[in-house]
Amino acid sequence: MRVNIDIPWNRYGLIAELTNRLKYQCPQFGKTILQKMVYLLQEVYGVKCGYQFDLYTYGPFTSQLLQDLDLVETFNAVRISSVMSAVGGYHIEPGERNEELKEKAGEFLRDPVVSKAIDNLIEHFSSSNAKKLELLSTIVYVSRDMRDEGLSRENLIQMVSDVKPKFARPEIEEAVSTLEEKQMVSFP
Amino acid sequence: MAKTYEIRDPIYGFIELNDWEREIINHPVFQRLRRIRQLGLTDMVYPGAMHTRFEHSLGVMHVATRMFDEIVKRRKEFLESELSFTEGGLERDKVLVRISCLLHDVGHAPFSHAAEELMITDASGKFYKHENYSAAAVAYLMQDVIEKHPFNQNYGIKAQDIADFLNGRSKLGRALLWRDLLSSQLDADRADYLLRDSHHIGVAYGKYDLNRLLVTMTVAIDPETDSPTLAVEEGGIHAAEALIVARYMMFTQVYFQHTRRAYDHHLAAAIKTLLSEAQSSSELEIRDALPPPTSREHLESYLKWNDWRVLGLINDGNGGGDGHILRERAHHRRIFETPEVPGREDLELTEFLCSELGEDGAFVDKAESSWYKFDSTDVPILLRPGKNDEKLVTLSQRSSVVHGLKAVNRSRIYTPYERREDVRKRVEELSNKYRKEKEVRK
Repeated sequence: MRVNIDIPWNRYGLIAELTNRLKYQCPQFGKTILQKMVYLLQEVYGVKCGYQFDLYTYGPFTSQLLQDLDLVETFNAVRISSVMSAVGGYHIEPGERNEELKEKAGEFLRDPVVSKAIDNLIEHFSSSNAKKLELLSTIVYVSRDMRDEGLSRENLIQMVSDVKPKFARPEIEEAVSTLEEKQMVSFP
Repeated sequence: MAKTYEIRDPIYGFIELNDWEREIINHPVFQRLRRIRQLGLTDMVYPGAMHTRFEHSLGVMHVATRMFDEIVKRRKEFLESELSFTEGGLERDKVLVRISCLLHDVGHAPFSHAAEELMITDASGKFYKHENYSAAAVAYLMQDVIEKHPFNQNYGIKAQDIADFLNGRSKLGRALLWRDLLSSQLDADRADYLLRDSHHIGVAYGKYDLNRLLVTMTVAIDPETDSPTLAVEEGGIHAAEALIVARYMMFTQVYFQHTRRAYDHHLAAAIKTLLSEAQSSSELEIRDALPPPTSREHLESYLKWNDWRVLGLINDGNGGGDGHILRERAHHRRIFETPEVPGREDLELTEFLCSELGEDGAFVDKAESSWYKFDSTDVPILLRPGKNDEKLVTLSQRSSVVHGLKAVNRSRIYTPYERREDVRKRVEELSNKYRKEKEVRK
């Protein structure tokens, strides 16, 4: 028997790629936006990244992605800094060895299906801030979590409102409509 | 006034229960936890590690209750006005939290996390976790004891509500906030196991100031996303810092200790063989993996597996080559490891060694695959709590100690005991060769 080590270079390369492409497009590209973007890429666009997301009041989240991000920072492929504004959070930008890491995952990132999915993700979501992305990804998570129970539009809005009580109902309704138009949520 | 019961606990002195909780504890599904060790075969390294999931589960219920009470005491008005909680709802949530925390580990496989790699995937390709087994055990097997007790008349808590809490389902709605008490950087699970594991194995690595942490726990709104989140008040910064450092120390010194991880590997392999032998003549379609938590029958079959059964079978000569290794204490030896926070070159060297070692490599272990991880999830800190200008920041922004800690991503290669000396030399030669070739390429 031979030993094998499966190092997830594709995941690391994906973090480098998203950082590179979202650095100017996304309002404050940080840890929250990265979490939600990868969630949507995996769950909505079907790119297999191997993350297992769980739902929290702050939306879908996986600590594995933070663990990967730490490593990508160690590789000097990204730089992470705290944002000292009233909103807080982090800012992620490409590091000196960003291109090298992307090249390491080149086959995966150049795959037409993956590449198209990343293009679509960026086209549809890159203008959203962390708050909006968190709402959108929570809606997607709840609708998929309840898929087998025939969740109505009204019930989905109510459940998201319960999880995220600081969002006004019209705001949730609008976000559901946006996702419906993009055929990312549907109802029986 | 309802009668209460007290159970002695080495960490908290006494843990208080009511009659309903006592009945749940007396249920066979919960009593099974007396036969599931908390830390697998960690006693091969730290002989004191003989404690079980039974006392840990009681401890998590106790700590989660204290956390809940402190948060509600401190932020009741905030919870009601900002997050639309009601007094009656909070009372019910507290009961939901207590019972969920009590039952959170009933679905553990033998030797806790060691056999978790024998769990299969669901239809969507997601691996089942012990939490899913706990939820299924509650829903399929504990309905009567949960739903029919007179104490539950006021709350109407269903077994499915507990299962939803354990699975983190979106159905929890507002109560999802309290799931952070079971699964987050500030949860009662790790708050308990750090102290309990340290106590039993005789180390001080996992100790921190729980009482200080408790009286500073709060809830706040994250300004970046407008989401409610558990947090620690400014006065608890050093207690939170100590908790993070305790996690780091326990991970590196105990949970990811190299010999302990070798025993996890042998246990999982031996249990796989035992499952294969036991299930070959059963009606289960699964042969060398744990039955999935998808039916009452599967759950009953799964819960028959506990440490006593596994040890008995191994002691009787079963469990294949790994069973033999466990009996003889001839575990595989670590011959190579990366730094805790490896660079890209360290990982490439590990790949190179794996490809060159062939039969000399027995298995590879990665911190990422360990159930106990040390990641860099941050802790929210609430500055000026209760004031008009209260503000949420992160612990890593306030603590240079935490800021400097990185997720542990170490990888290791092991070799069979008999070949350890030769393979160590070979690894040294291969590493030198790799570095020289790398220099030439530069």
